[in-house]
Amino acid sequence: MNETPATGAYMVAAYIVVAVEVGVYAFSLWRRARKALRSEPLEL
Amino acid sequence: MTAQSNPAGAALIRRGLAVTGVALVGLAGVYALALLATPAERFQGLAQKILYLHAPSAWASLMAFSLVGIASAAYLLLRDPRLDLFAEASAEVGLAFGVVMLTTGPMWGRAAWGAWWQWEPRLTLTLLLVLLFVGYRALRATIEDPEERARYSAVIGIMALVLVPFVHLSVYLFRTIHPQPVILKPSKPTLPWEMLRTLIGSFVMFTVLYVGFVTVRYGIGRAQRELAS
Repeated sequence: MNETPATGAYMVAAYIVVAVEVGVYAFSLWRRARKALRSEPLEL
Repeated sequence: MTAQSNPAGAALIRRGLAVTGVALVGLAGVYALALLATPAERFQGLAQKILYLHAPSAWASLMAFSLVGIASAAYLLLRDPRLDLFAEASAEVGLAFGVVMLTTGPMWGRAAWGAWWQWEPRLTLTLLLVLLFVGYRALRATIEDPEERARYSAVIGIMALVLVPFVHLSVYLFRTIHPQPVILKPSKPTLPWEMLRTLIGSFVMFTVLYVGFVTVRYGIGRAQRELAS
């Protein structure tokens, strides 16, 4: 009978990596958006 | 001039941020559903749950790249700079999802195949597509004239659009070890309902996340371009 392999570490790593990647990109967009909204008077 | 006097860009940014917020909450829900309420697959173990992030990120990435190609073709026909702006936004967001796809894939591959990477058609074509968009971004950064930049990048965008169907169909066209699609295929999905609902939920949330991201990115581009003109 086949046993289910212990691959939980890959799952945990993948879920953490995706949270970091999505979080970093969302934060980068948020920073640029805030700059675009706030820095407009300074740039003119 | 303030954000209020530039209503198009500012409104788009605010709308996009709201959609992104909703999508991020939804993505947290997908995490909870996948980790707490979805059974583990018997032969692959818990690593199979990487599918709930990998497949939807691949979908979002390929959708983003396809829309770049469509907007690029439309730009060459209509010469509307908003189409070029959208293509630029979608390319960046597509690359972000491409990174998610290319990092989760090897983790699943290591668990399932015993190897992080295989030079087989699906993986190789996907890598080529992502690298094409790295080149797209590099090209945009090097050309200063907006019209010339839009024209040249539109050509790359259309080239990439041609590649997208090959990426999706490569599992049927070539001998490959990459699993075939479980949802985006002509026949019915082949997953038990408990797994299917998580996967569908993740597809929906990644799509909403794409909409949020691309709206913010497009809004930033609009605001910058309106200021420059």
